[in-house]
Amino acid sequence: MLRLTIDNQTVEVPPGSTILDAARKLGIDIPALCFRNGCEPSTSCLVCVVRINHQERLVPSCATLAEDGMRVQSETDDIHQARRTALELLLSDHLGDCIGPCRSICPAGMNIPLMIRQIARGAFRDAIVTVKRDIALPAVLGRICSTPCEKGCRRKEYDDAVAICLLKRYVADIDLADNNPYLPACKDETGKKVAIVGSGPAGLTAAYYLRQEGIACTIFDDHKKPGGMLRYAVPEEKLPRAVLDDEIALIEKLGVRFRLSTKIGRDIAWPDIRNEFDAVLIAIGEIKPDKADILQLETDKNGLKINKKTNQTSLPNVFAAGSIVRPGKMAVRAVADGKTAAVSITQYLFYQPLIGIPKPLSVHIGRLREGEIEKFMINVSADGRSNPEKNNPTGLSAEQAQREARRCLHCDCRKYDTCKLRIYAEKYRARPNRYKQTRPIFEQNIQHPEIIFETGKCINCGLCVQIAAAAGEKPGLTFVGRGFDVHVQVPFHDSLKKALTKTAVQCAAACPTGALSLKDK
Amino acid sequence: MTDLDLTFVDQTIQKLGREPSELIPILQAIQRHYRYLPEPALRRVCEITQITPKAITGVSTFYSQFRHSPVGRHIINICKGTACHVMGADLIYDAFCRHLNLQEGDDTDVDELFTVQKVACLGCCSLAPVLQIDEITYGHLTAEMVPNVLRDFLEMTKKGTISSFRKSDLFNKEGLGEIRLGSATCCLARGSGALYKAFQQALSETRVPAFVKTVSCLGMSYCAPLVEIVLPNSDLPDKNTFFYAGVQPEDAKAIILRHFRPPGTVRKIINVASQAMDAILTDASWPPVERRLIDLRKKPAAAFLNQQKHIATEYCGQLTPVDIEEYAAFDGFKALKHCLRELSPQEVIEQVRISRLRGRGGAGYSTAAKWSSAREARGDKKYIICNGDEGDPGAFMDRSILESYPYRVIEGMIIAAYAAGADEGYFYIRAEYPLAIRQIREALRQCEKKQLLGENILNSGFNLTLHIMEGAGAFVCGEETALLASIEGRRGMPRLRPPYPTQSGLWKKPTLVNNVETYAMVPWIMRHGGNAFATLGTDVSTGTKVFALAGKVARGGLIEVPMGISLHDIVEDIGGGITAGKRLKAVQIGGPSGGCVPAELARVPVDYEALTDAGAIMGSGGLVVLDETDCMVDIARYFLEFTQDQSCGKCTFCRIGTRRMLDILERLCEGEGRKGDLEELEELALAVKKGSLCQLGGTAPNPVLSTLKYFRDEYEAHLQKKCPAGSCKALITYSITDDCIGCTRCAQHCPADAIEMKPYQQHEIDPEKCIRCGTCKNVCPSDAIKVE
Repeated sequence: MLRLTIDNQTVEVPPGSTILDAARKLGIDIPALCFRNGCEPSTSCLVCVVRINHQERLVPSCATLAEDGMRVQSETDDIHQARRTALELLLSDHLGDCIGPCRSICPAGMNIPLMIRQIARGAFRDAIVTVKRDIALPAVLGRICSTPCEKGCRRKEYDDAVAICLLKRYVADIDLADNNPYLPACKDETGKKVAIVGSGPAGLTAAYYLRQEGIACTIFDDHKKPGGMLRYAVPEEKLPRAVLDDEIALIEKLGVRFRLSTKIGRDIAWPDIRNEFDAVLIAIGEIKPDKADILQLETDKNGLKINKKTNQTSLPNVFAAGSIVRPGKMAVRAVADGKTAAVSITQYLFYQPLIGIPKPLSVHIGRLREGEIEKFMINVSADGRSNPEKNNPTGLSAEQAQREARRCLHCDCRKYDTCKLRIYAEKYRARPNRYKQTRPIFEQNIQHPEIIFETGKCINCGLCVQIAAAAGEKPGLTFVGRGFDVHVQVPFHDSLKKALTKTAVQCAAACPTGALSLKDK
Repeated sequence: MTDLDLTFVDQTIQKLGREPSELIPILQAIQRHYRYLPEPALRRVCEITQITPKAITGVSTFYSQFRHSPVGRHIINICKGTACHVMGADLIYDAFCRHLNLQEGDDTDVDELFTVQKVACLGCCSLAPVLQIDEITYGHLTAEMVPNVLRDFLEMTKKGTISSFRKSDLFNKEGLGEIRLGSATCCLARGSGALYKAFQQALSETRVPAFVKTVSCLGMSYCAPLVEIVLPNSDLPDKNTFFYAGVQPEDAKAIILRHFRPPGTVRKIINVASQAMDAILTDASWPPVERRLIDLRKKPAAAFLNQQKHIATEYCGQLTPVDIEEYAAFDGFKALKHCLRELSPQEVIEQVRISRLRGRGGAGYSTAAKWSSAREARGDKKYIICNGDEGDPGAFMDRSILESYPYRVIEGMIIAAYAAGADEGYFYIRAEYPLAIRQIREALRQCEKKQLLGENILNSGFNLTLHIMEGAGAFVCGEETALLASIEGRRGMPRLRPPYPTQSGLWKKPTLVNNVETYAMVPWIMRHGGNAFATLGTDVSTGTKVFALAGKVARGGLIEVPMGISLHDIVEDIGGGITAGKRLKAVQIGGPSGGCVPAELARVPVDYEALTDAGAIMGSGGLVVLDETDCMVDIARYFLEFTQDQSCGKCTFCRIGTRRMLDILERLCEGEGRKGDLEELEELALAVKKGSLCQLGGTAPNPVLSTLKYFRDEYEAHLQKKCPAGSCKALITYSITDDCIGCTRCAQHCPADAIEMKPYQQHEIDPEKCIRCGTCKNVCPSDAIKVE
């Protein structure tokens, strides 16, 4: 046995073991993108670098053999930096959108592409679950949203944006019409109590997510009915009140209590609310600065002073959301804010790190080059945008919705959840745009019945090349070129279908990024 | 393409075999035949050999020698080596593109007559800027010469007067005068092949009792082609040896008549000839180039030669390269005989250990340690390899040594093989050096004939077979593990060491890899003993080092100097200082792995550690001298462009990191630098240095780090959109001062019509039309073109 130390912990491994083996034995997590058990280490990504015996140069732990007496450092500041740099370099040459442009631009961060795919295959119940993960009032928003998502939709570069808002409205409407509409599961009561002041989109949304965490919610509003601006400012013809009532009723079903016609300072004293509840959310819409004084909250030139990430005010147990902190008429922004506040309040009440909802790391293709949109189109329906027939209360028909959904370009990554590059980049807080300069041209190869090859996402680890060769695939895959331009390709430009006859699925599974992925079922 | 005749492919496979290891030679043969690699031919190879489509696609796209599309009838290879770069190779390239009307992205003209491409260093740095059209080399070019070059080439092709190198006669000519012609690439490039013929003809016409002999490189490439006249019965070589530089074929007769008395002629004729010669000496028009009689006893030639110490280049200028008898007469194979007959392998290694010889390939690892590691490695089969893949732009030491002293390298290699216990080996020589390959091939044949190679060498019971592997154009193959992959017929990818090749090398057998120059040192060491070598040079860097001196220096060429000499002495004394009255700015040493040593530090001794401390490296020995008109940001950009292209493309730091460094440098040179770029560049450079897998990536940031260290103000200036050296095209403007005499030459030569012809008036340059090619500056007789 060889005896070595990693970060001053001693470990024994048999001869022939690598430093990575030894580290794993100790439970030290060394990030490794291009390494895979059973394959030769390709020493390509260099994210697994460590330092041995205090040498200046770093070595890849996946291929460096452990030696007796070796002293290894795995996570000093400069190793951390080096790994981050390696990830940033890989990201700088990584062409794709981790999350689609529609979702990136959506204030609520809804997983729009997933919803669309669920609609496309007729899984409407799945679709409403996806929607409600981020939007508590989809039938409402399906009618009044200003649809920033559609402005970001890449399909616009070919013809018109996918009718995202109508699709959302469609699944929300059929859900509301269902005898058994979707209600999320709520955790057991935790005994925590939150007061929400204001029953507009922000307040209702916050209540919806707080209840799911097992937190008791009471909504105060000085109006007779809940809904705030939705009820008192939006014209009936845009938003039929029945839809609003139905959606609020679903929130109430989760156990939310309403204390209506109740005004703070008139019907109930502010200090009393703060004493009675563990936390308070202020969601009363735009207010004048003097109102803030009554609430004993600090203001600055922008209005109420809050932490922009967590929505926490100057009083630790008081949070604020909606137009009071972000003036404007965008309901979707209020909804997004309500969810952030709910998450922050939950973190606050359960003594978790108060961070709000961190923005997910994503690389972006950005503006397309000439000819690229056509490459996105190879996989999707070329039909024009569907529009609802006049006077159809549900907007799109089921058939229209499914046809519309097939227009989506699937910009988001098929391997969002498993892409090691994204996961480690997130962990090491890599900045995707640090070295952004030139970018490759978007290509997707859909020749194969089972997998898609997106060349711009390849990190040249060569696992697929190895796997195909080991299985005797003829012709398999090969590296082509040299230097910065090196890439993986089928020899002689033959088709991918011919190249991988038995290992396609295996290669897609081994691929550390979204370069090789399974086709949608 | 279906009608492509593939019988050649079948014949090639018949000849070379079906093994995957033969892939590169097979591809080379196919390309020689079809002039590119047609896909049907490659598919045919896969059908009839064990070579897979994966291997053939991977390998044929890895090496830059291989082309996948048809080319014009003639190929114009424009050297992009360092010396050529600083001497304006880009301007030459642009001029060809303009002249041949090539559109962006095209490399071949519409008539498919010429294909223009930039190629890795041709190793003719002292003739920079250089290009080759097919086999013909043109040097010392400027942009306005381009039409002349093409005309000259086409005329030569038509006349069929393309000269090729010829072997000298081998029989004994004692008592006769000798006319020695340099035969290395520098001299051949300048026409020594045609000279050989001209002198032969002149001798037969004049019936002078002398003979023409081609000899090893004297290193004085700056005056190639060089002709040395040695009078008979020359006891006093000083008085009987004369050198002529830049000689043209038509001078042959005059030179002969000046020194030799033709039978039956009277003195008067010689005098006439003498006068004719003097007339030629003052002719400075182009072509031909300047010529002069050099007196070796006086400066500058004395300075060029006297500070040198010849070990690897011993007997320089006296040996006919492939004449084995002559090599033997000049102490050749004595060391080998001594080793094989009197010393055990351990005793051989012991002498090398005493000599403290360090690897001349760059890293400076102890040669003896490497040899004994190979010796001690377990295994019944061991290999020996000579690394002649001199890919650094700006270096031509290995080329010169292989071309001029093939037997010395072979002798050193046999001794090393004996010491290590290897019985088979390879010369790995880059394809850009066809003459070196030819010389070695012939030398190996001669050695086999003389029982110096093969079975039972010199009846010692020791066996050794040596092969030649022709590189295919990949700088990274100078890295030993990549080189081994290349010999095995694979993409030249370096791998993590350990295991070192001495433990597990070629086909996983223990393998000793040394550089050309290292082997060339060995015979001298074994003849004189390790101690004699160790007394030369410094404590840590013993012996001598061969350098390729080029760039803005008056006298460039191949030099061999004792270690410890300062860069200043090399540049000033041997190189004769900077050309054209400019000032020394820096010396680039070590090529893309090295750095720029600024003029203030020129006293630094040539020593592995001292150079590393100065931010450079010894490297393999390319010295490119830079003057005040060379932009250091551009130099850094130039090297990064090289490394990011030559990177094997495996590890992130090298593949993407060098590209991102280049992005920043390109921004700076374009005047688009952003705040924070310098810090970002430095940080990235350090990360690439620390994190890269092999030495190519690990040293690639050196040109950036050293210039950032010594010339940071120049980087800062680029951030302000200024190029103090007046070199970065995007940041400079050309204008005409009132020194203009109105001669109209600039207007006549301007390829962009940016200057209106105004006889006897001061001319003006239209900044909109100006393409900053520098032609006006080159042709202006009154130095009236200002660049700022």
